Amino acid sequence: MSNAVEFHGIRRRFGAVAAVDDVSFSIAAGETVALLGPSGCGKTTILRIIAGFERPDHGMVSIGGRDVTALKPYERNVGLLFQHYALFPHMTVAENIAYGLRHRGTDKREIPDRVEEMLALVRLQGFGSRRPQQLSGGQQQRVALARALATRPGLVLLDEPLSALDAKLRQDLRAELKQVLAAVNSTAMVVTHDQEEAMSLGERVFLMQSGRIVQTGSPSEVYGCPGSRFAADFMGRANWIEARVTRRETGLAQAVSRSGLSLTVPHCDAEAIDICVRPENIVLSAADTSGPDGMVNSASGRILNVALLGATRQILVETSGGDQLLVMQANRVGDGLDPGKAVTIGFPVDACITLPAGNQAAASTSL
Amino acid sequence: MNGRTKRLGDRILGGAMVAMLALMLAFLVTPLLVTCLLAFDSRSFLGPLPPPALSLRWFERLASLDYVATGLATSLKIALLATVIDVLVGTAAAVALDRGGFRGRGLLMAAFLSPLIVPAVVIGLALLLFLSRIGVIDGFTRLLCGHVVITLPYVVRTVLASLAGRDRRLTEAALVLGATERQAFWSVTLPLIRSGMVTGAVFAFAVSLDDVAVSMFLTDPSTYTLPVALVSSMRASFDLSIAAAAVLLMAVTAVLIIVLERFVGFDRLLGQGLFRS
Amino acid sequence: MSAVTIARPQELAIPAPARMSLLLLAPGLLILLSIFALPLLGLVLESLKQYVPGRVGSAVDASLTLENYRELATPSFAGVLYETFKLSAAASLAGLMAAFPLAYCIVRRFSPRQRAACIGLLVMLVLLSMLVRTYALELAFGSVGIARPLLLALGISPTSRGYIEVLVEAGLLHAVMPICTLTLLGTIQNIDPRLCDAAQSLGAPAWKAHLGITVPLALPGLVSAFLIAMTFAISAFVIPMVLGKGRVLFLSNTIYTRFSDVANYPSGAAVSIAMLVISLLVLSLASLAHRGKGARS
Repeated sequence: MSNAVEFHGIRRRFGAVAAVDDVSFSIAAGETVALLGPSGCGKTTILRIIAGFERPDHGMVSIGGRDVTALKPYERNVGLLFQHYALFPHMTVAENIAYGLRHRGTDKREIPDRVEEMLALVRLQGFGSRRPQQLSGGQQQRVALARALATRPGLVLLDEPLSALDAKLRQDLRAELKQVLAAVNSTAMVVTHDQEEAMSLGERVFLMQSGRIVQTGSPSEVYGCPGSRFAADFMGRANWIEARVTRRETGLAQAVSRSGLSLTVPHCDAEAIDICVRPENIVLSAADTSGPDGMVNSASGRILNVALLGATRQILVETSGGDQLLVMQANRVGDGLDPGKAVTIGFPVDACITLPAGNQAAASTSL
Repeated sequence: MNGRTKRLGDRILGGAMVAMLALMLAFLVTPLLVTCLLAFDSRSFLGPLPPPALSLRWFERLASLDYVATGLATSLKIALLATVIDVLVGTAAAVALDRGGFRGRGLLMAAFLSPLIVPAVVIGLALLLFLSRIGVIDGFTRLLCGHVVITLPYVVRTVLASLAGRDRRLTEAALVLGATERQAFWSVTLPLIRSGMVTGAVFAFAVSLDDVAVSMFLTDPSTYTLPVALVSSMRASFDLSIAAAAVLLMAVTAVLIIVLERFVGFDRLLGQGLFRS
Repeated sequence: MSAVTIARPQELAIPAPARMSLLLLAPGLLILLSIFALPLLGLVLESLKQYVPGRVGSAVDASLTLENYRELATPSFAGVLYETFKLSAAASLAGLMAAFPLAYCIVRRFSPRQRAACIGLLVMLVLLSMLVRTYALELAFGSVGIARPLLLALGISPTSRGYIEVLVEAGLLHAVMPICTLTLLGTIQNIDPRLCDAAQSLGAPAWKAHLGITVPLALPGLVSAFLIAMTFAISAFVIPMVLGKGRVLFLSNTIYTRFSDVANYPSGAAVSIAMLVISLLVLSLASLAHRGKGARS
């Protein structure tokens, strides 16, 4: 299979620490993947190995069918969008973009056209003679992207592309980034600690922890079916209920939680289980109205507090059994859901993610 | 203590500071202003200020002294040559020290900066004895040796500071875009350390032009620098031609300042490693 | 596919990066060795040679002796040593006390334009010829200077030893202040101004806040600036020569006299080495104390 990138059996130690511990993956041509994990998980080391700044102790890297493991950065054709752009301050925007073209032997006469092409791609026509210092953060990022893509690299690496921008700009540039990458049909890998960035940009997500890839899949797969407590917590907010299985049926299990709640959940082999429910999947209504219909799992409780986040709100509910659950829903004004109010909460079976109890994996810092 | 006493204390402090600052700046600037005025004094003796009339007689006198012209020419030649050598050798050394990769880096760095802590007279005497012993008797060569020794550390220091302060990601960006290490150095690193090189060169030039201690040992009757010539002349007979010479040298300094401002900028000057504590 | 171990490139005798570095260092090292290290070694040797009066320098085959160093243990040499250190330390301290508030104002109080102007002035002073600055002081405050009538009116004799000492001090101060100020700018920039704000919001008047916070935090920088000033002042040559008029002698002037007036090279060498050793001792003592305070040098 001609994959654009093959990363096989890579190991890298720094002293006694295994920064990358037997990692393998492949990326298909034209695909955009996200390498996601907390700081210190080894994703930056992998990025530097692919770019050529680090040598792995073991393993093989191939790009476009070519074994590049022993090659210097300038002998590979990898595009790299640095986290803080690393634009050359003493050169103009056009000279920055042309740098790669010049050093990879492009015909001199073709360079100006190619530079113009790239400027048009990132919607910065006419900015060619400006200096990086004269540009805003978002504009600098677009120049850095143009520079990385100018030489038609076999793989584009994006190092935390949206982290240096403020929240509003982040959303705008996210869409633009996707559009540009699609337009040039390049193979790309986004390296990030931000799961929003990973899920929105990547067609596939590789979740990393302590030097290993612990889960691979589409964003919805990794979000909806996390394979470990770490994965569940890292990909988004999660409510956890510890329970014991009382009865098994086909594909389902009956469990009783510590707080005495009776729940129907997807099947799990273990006796002691942790049940994860995402806040957006819990339905909540005032106790005096008709309860959530058709919800197999339900409980009564009291609102502890309400946090208004703009378009959404987060409501912390304490059930009669003592569980504290976070509910997230669209913000609806004036429906009287205030602290202290008695409510009923409910969630369907497929909103539950069951994992064997104590499946902590390594202790992870939630970000 | 109550609020009134506190505020009083603050006011006294504030007032004392202003007074001290004014005094200090006056102390630094007044002698120079006086000298400038006296350079244009029309009287043939040193009389009280203000001068009754202005004239260029002292400048004319200065121009008429052969040894001034010769000394100035030699000084400029040596300063220029020493600066060029410093920039070439010093930048190479600084780049090597910054790259590292060998043992004893700290020691070597200290070695390159050590001429700064050796008193200039000691360097002068040592060089004279040594060069005489090995048969180097040409005055110009001897002076050049002395000046290179005392000015080289300035360039090494500023270029090292520039190298240390640069963003190494830029070199990585160049490498990933296809430049070899050598190409990356010439197209990215060198432009970034330009300000360090210019600052070091300016200071090297100024130190060389001004040196007396080392030069006094290494001059001979046919080769001498301007400062040495001025000192001997003033010892023989003290007159206001020294004020005229001072004004000329101040003009040279002004040129150096303009060069610094143009190529480096005062706001960046402090990061050049010269005034590192 | 089975894991493949990466074959390491053949190790060269010296790996390429280090070779390049050593190549770049070579000219500088050559210069250092040939016209710095070797001459200093030669100086040490010369200081151990016997001086024969009437000859220029020492005989080539003269025997080694410590006579020249024993000569230094005289009151006159000790006097010069004392004079040098006394005036240097006084000037360095005074310079520091003047430079600190100036540096503080530049960093915290001045507008950007005032700051640029002041720094420009200070840099200009540092670049300006020492000769010019020294003779400027002589013209302004010297015994034949324009301040002469004023001094006489105040009852100060401009040719008295006391006044000449003051003049030399002034010369040292004029040289030391700009350098100290510029060095301290970095120190003060590194102190968070909000610390003093916090102190004042807790009730301390400004002067107490500074005494208790700014000064202690700036101490490492102050010590460094003091060292720089001392190093400069001890080895001063032009200032004592021009302003001291032969009445105030520094170590460097002694060396020159031995060389030019008497052609006693071995003795001059001995004084030089002694001066070098003393300078290094002062430097290392002070930086030990500096490091001992737990501060990074």
